[in-house]
Amino acid sequence: MYKEDRTEPFWWGMFSMGGVVAALLIPVHVFFIGLAVPLGLVDKSLLEYGRMKSLLANPLVKVYLFVLIVPPLFHAAHRIRFSLHEMGIRKLLLSLDVLCYGGALLGTAVSLYVLWVI
Amino acid sequence: MTRENETEHKAYVRPVPITWWLHNRRYFLFMIRESTSVFIALFVLVYLYQLFLVSRGAEVHDTFQESLRSVPFVVGYAIVLLFALYHSITWLGLVSKIQIVRIGRLTIPPFLVGLGAYLSWIVASAVVAFLFLTLTVG
Repeated sequence: MYKEDRTEPFWWGMFSMGGVVAALLIPVHVFFIGLAVPLGLVDKSLLEYGRMKSLLANPLVKVYLFVLIVPPLFHAAHRIRFSLHEMGIRKLLLSLDVLCYGGALLGTAVSLYVLWVI
Repeated sequence: MTRENETEHKAYVRPVPITWWLHNRRYFLFMIRESTSVFIALFVLVYLYQLFLVSRGAEVHDTFQESLRSVPFVVGYAIVLLFALYHSITWLGLVSKIQIVRIGRLTIPPFLVGLGAYLSWIVASAVVAFLFLTLTVG
């Protein structure tokens, strides 16, 4: 018999939010952090310690980084879960739900910790 | 001995090879689209690590920053960027198919909804780029 999963809307909501954040914000971040600064297309001091330290002193920057980092983790968890399922993998050592969504929750906790200590 | 309430049937699950998505272009692109999330998650995790290094002091942070100039990192980020762009294009392309936008009795044509989604991507990227290049806060 079909058993209703009351948590399902939450995971789909997080998946959706993560998809939007990833679509709108991730490419520009990848470009600057991974390519533009390392390749010298822009001033490399933009990502140096002093500037990062001063930017991170502002709580709004931390809130922004939380929104940038956490929802894409849930987005990935959801997609990985369904992709593995569609590839015929229904269970690894733990259920896919525990592995994928648990991973995203762990990532959230680690993100909170990092943004707290920096 | 059989009991009357033994009516549960085991559903037949057709065996599907794990490589089913390699045999059809659409299925392949579907899986590529799904895999974009893995590259994006890797990026945010490495970025989180990079941010964490700020708490370890200038030397540790800037040493890692310097290592991003190495060929493996640059190639890796170029690949991540391609996947991230593919995610953006496919995700925003779906907006006009999923979201019906009504203003009063007027239904906005899907074409304009899609255009709005792509424009919002451009605006968001421009704002982030501007702040990244100019922002100084204390």
